Amino acid sequence: MKKILTFGLLIALLAGIYGYFQWNKPHKDTSKISADVVLDANDLLHAFESDESKANTQYLDKVIKVNGIIKQVENNESGKITLILATDGEMSSITCNFEPPAAKGLTQLRQGQQISIKGLCSGALMDDLMGNTVVLDRCSLAQK
Amino acid sequence: MKKILLLMTFALLFLGNVHAQHKYGTRQGTITFNSEAQKETIKATNNTVSAVIDPKTKRVQFAVLIKGFQFKKALMQEHFNENYMESSKFPKATFKGEIVDGDIDFYQIGTYQVQVKGKLTIHGVTKEVTVPATITMSKDGAKANATFEVAVADYGIEIPSMVKDKIAKVITIHVDALLPML
Repeated sequence: MKKILTFGLLIALLAGIYGYFQWNKPHKDTSKISADVVLDANDLLHAFESDESKANTQYLDKVIKVNGIIKQVENNESGKITLILATDGEMSSITCNFEPPAAKGLTQLRQGQQISIKGLCSGALMDDLMGNTVVLDRCSLAQK
Repeated sequence: MKKILLLMTFALLFLGNVHAQHKYGTRQGTITFNSEAQKETIKATNNTVSAVIDPKTKRVQFAVLIKGFQFKKALMQEHFNENYMESSKFPKATFKGEIVDGDIDFYQIGTYQVQVKGKLTIHGVTKEVTVPATITMSKDGAKANATFEVAVADYGIEIPSMVKDKIAKVITIHVDALLPML
């Protein structure tokens, strides 16, 4: 009887610890996860432009390492930074969102710089007027 | 003299043209939502909202990627995407509509209260909605603000009874975007 009780308590404790860690588990840190796919900015954009639903199945939630050239650096409020990577379509781009603390120090980056970024693919926003953009979230700078 | 007149006419024509054609747009708009339930308040933000306003037709368009909403807790973000929004199946939420009420002068600096009516698509379900909004015209462009409520059940999102005191049935959505002239 005592044994069963101890066993039960142990299970409950383990479940509690598991629950606690699940509840507090950190966001995915793209700087510590190796990329599922490595692509050039143009190729990533074209994949979505040619077949969005196929690209969604292929790339959503994947860690994508994208190589490209910085078109714009934007400061959001609350310490977030968005890097816009150029693509061959004038209006189109790759949008890379950096959360703090990964965003720290990125304001020093300049337009025209070659860069390599890892991020989680959230999909693409397509618009005739605004152009198309593929969005990567929780980005980090990657080594080339 | 004649030349100057001609030039002025051209300039006027040109200006008129610019006025008639330009639109306002951004990809850096913000949408925040709040779920205030008995036991828990959940908040998430997305800073990559695309928005276009066409002064000529008064048409308004918004689009946002569901996976781009950032939560404080990773677990909540995961549940939001996998269990409720099914964001791999329905990656976007969109609004397409027009300004139906409220006198707005896009060429006059000022704040305007308007009503925007159109189709809101969330979780693959499209509903006709009318939302009050504020548009502020300034030298930086058109600033659009709106706060409205969405009942999750209207969009086919089921909240299991086990978590019903943690997730609100009605979610408050805030839209905030500055749309520079394109």
